[in-house]
Amino acid sequence: MPWRLLLRNVRAHWLRSLLTFLSVAVAVFLVCVLQGAVRTLDASVQQAARNRLWVQSAVSLFVNLPLAYEGKIAAVDGVERVCRWQWFGGYFQSRDNFFAQFAVDPDDFLPSYPELEIVDGSYEGFTRNRTGCIVGEQLAEEFGWRVGSRVPIIGTIFQRADGAPWEFTIEAVYRARSPVLDQRTLFFDFDYLREALEQGAATGPPGAGVYLVALPPARDPTPVMAEIDALFAGGPQRVQTTTEAEFQRTFVTMFGNVGTLLTAISAGVVFAILFAVLNTMLLAARERTRDAGILKALGFTRGTVFGLLLSESMLLCLLGGAVGIGLALAVERGIQYAMAMMLPGFELGGATLALAGGLAAGVGLIAGVFPAWLLARVRPVDAKREA
Amino acid sequence: MALLPIGYSVRSLLRRRTATVLTVLSIGATVAVLAGMGCLRQGFTAMVTERGRTDLAVFLRPGATSEGESGFPRESVDLLVKETAEVAVDGEGRPLAAGEMFLAVRRRKVDGGETNVAIRGVEPQTFAIHGDDVRIVEGRKFDPGADEVIVGRSLSERIQDCRVGDVLVLNTTPFRVVGVMEARGAFDSEIWGDVRRMQHALQRPILSRVIAVLKPGSDVAAIAARWQDDPRVQAAVYTERDYLENQTRQLSATLAVVGGFLVVVMGIAAAFTGVNAMLAAVAARVHEIGILRALGFGRAAVFFAFLFEALALGLLGGLVGCLLVVPLHGVRTGTTNFDTFSEVAFSFRLTPEVVGQALVFSLVLGLLGGTLPAWRACRMRPTQALRRG
Repeated sequence: MPWRLLLRNVRAHWLRSLLTFLSVAVAVFLVCVLQGAVRTLDASVQQAARNRLWVQSAVSLFVNLPLAYEGKIAAVDGVERVCRWQWFGGYFQSRDNFFAQFAVDPDDFLPSYPELEIVDGSYEGFTRNRTGCIVGEQLAEEFGWRVGSRVPIIGTIFQRADGAPWEFTIEAVYRARSPVLDQRTLFFDFDYLREALEQGAATGPPGAGVYLVALPPARDPTPVMAEIDALFAGGPQRVQTTTEAEFQRTFVTMFGNVGTLLTAISAGVVFAILFAVLNTMLLAARERTRDAGILKALGFTRGTVFGLLLSESMLLCLLGGAVGIGLALAVERGIQYAMAMMLPGFELGGATLALAGGLAAGVGLIAGVFPAWLLARVRPVDAKREA
Repeated sequence: MALLPIGYSVRSLLRRRTATVLTVLSIGATVAVLAGMGCLRQGFTAMVTERGRTDLAVFLRPGATSEGESGFPRESVDLLVKETAEVAVDGEGRPLAAGEMFLAVRRRKVDGGETNVAIRGVEPQTFAIHGDDVRIVEGRKFDPGADEVIVGRSLSERIQDCRVGDVLVLNTTPFRVVGVMEARGAFDSEIWGDVRRMQHALQRPILSRVIAVLKPGSDVAAIAARWQDDPRVQAAVYTERDYLENQTRQLSATLAVVGGFLVVVMGIAAAFTGVNAMLAAVAARVHEIGILRALGFGRAAVFFAFLFEALALGLLGGLVGCLLVVPLHGVRTGTTNFDTFSEVAFSFRLTPEVVGQALVFSLVLGLLGGTLPAWRACRMRPTQALRRG
């Protein structure tokens, strides 16, 4: 195969080659990002811990469970730990600074989450200080908070009788290595909230939103789930116990069919680029009619002529694919940061990159075969005549 | 200055059919993606806001952005209705106002999986307020005081236990489904029952919001100002239209960001495709350009002839893109309204606005793709062009 001729052909129309290569790069970049998002959504379901269960009201996300449920759940055979979670729904300074706050039991929270790492401060401080809190690394960075900072949070669901914001002191900063938790959450002591409500210092719904139940590793969750649900089947609030994967899935599917939407967009991108490369290669084939005739006259085979054009198509697409994948990898961290709440733990993943690379190669192949076949059919006499 | 007729540009496109078709398909696929996003956004916005009345006031707890967060005790509801002079009355002198209880409850979908469905406890006056906007299309209304519900038409096929005759359990209380209602907007995705029975079953002493028809010419801002600092009960008051428009903001903003990102990135790739197609067009017609110039057509004439050709190519792509999304029009889908945390059903809508945006975008692509090649073409000197051709 005369490889130098291939490179000369690419260089002869350098602007066209460059633009084709760049469009492939952009398309592959886009496919990487979109499919990365789809995979991250899936991962939040698949990487959910098998030994964590969520007990919530069977009626609604917005109905709290009585506090007395905690002891009854803890007594169920196989339950290792129960941790209360309550959505606080407040805001820092302005409603636009949205991030989640949860009231949890400090003694049970961290032991339930081995994928959580304390990167600053001490978790013991959090367990000792009633008004202490821990915050995600990214949240601390955004607002310039440090261990020891005092954070006033204005309550919406839970309002203090004196009209003042709730004051929390940061005791530790965490980093989450799991798409199940995001890096922008504030966790504080459930008892701080409960005492304020009981003493009349604040108003808001009593009870706990959900109970997180930790099981020993490798314990079959099915009987435990059934037993917890049966405990409260007669009321006052029926509960529904789900695995963490199922719990995550309900949130993922709430957006609607995001996976299908993103995949449809990716398909549009791939088709657009396929037509574009096919057009480029047809143009190239037409221009090279004379070259092909001469090559044949010189004794090169059909296969060589075919291979030359196909290789050109493949070269442009594979180079474009490589650059597109490189671009996507370069912005991976940025997307992770920007989408910290909607898509915690955004990751492209090897499979996404492989898919993108495969698509680039596929486009190169499909767009190259037909023009190359047309060119390979050229007879030396045709070429002479056309020139 | 003599310009070339537009027919020249169009005929040139027709002459190299394969290249034109492929370029048009490529631009069309790009435009279709963006138009599809536009249809999604329009569909959601239209569904939420289509029944936004300006003569209907919505009272919420201050600070609450939706009825899901809002709450009033019964006494406050009565006080708000009694002390708002602008509330209209019906033929028998009763105020056209109702307290409602709202809760997003978990239900199972017919095809498996779980979702959050809006439950609304309503009062007899609620039906008077909505008039023909809420119609019973199957069965009958629930009887006041009975454990009966009616369901929105969008729900009855998608959610389990939502057909007439079914029994739907809320917490521990069974409710019988006695009717299907058809309503505009999000009501079509809701379950309605007697507010007192619902409060009892769900153990919620608090009502969520008050709605009231206002007398013609009433000023909602003035009502809002009065209740803002009332010592007995504070309320935020909106027209229904403003209230609903607020709810589309989050999803609209998300789609705008995603759409903007796609417009820029896919636009770059599509513009490159346009440049390639036009460069090839110029290269194939060098000889022709030489003749045109020799005939006395100026640089501007050549420039605009090629630019028009690029614009026509873009426009064709835009039309193909719009045609590609026509089958999407009317397709039902669902998403969660995150302000109320309840699932709502809506249809993709291909509106003139979406088509307009798609065509403008495709013309911009044509412009971006055509400028450089057209400029190249017009820089050729006639003698050179003739010789090279």
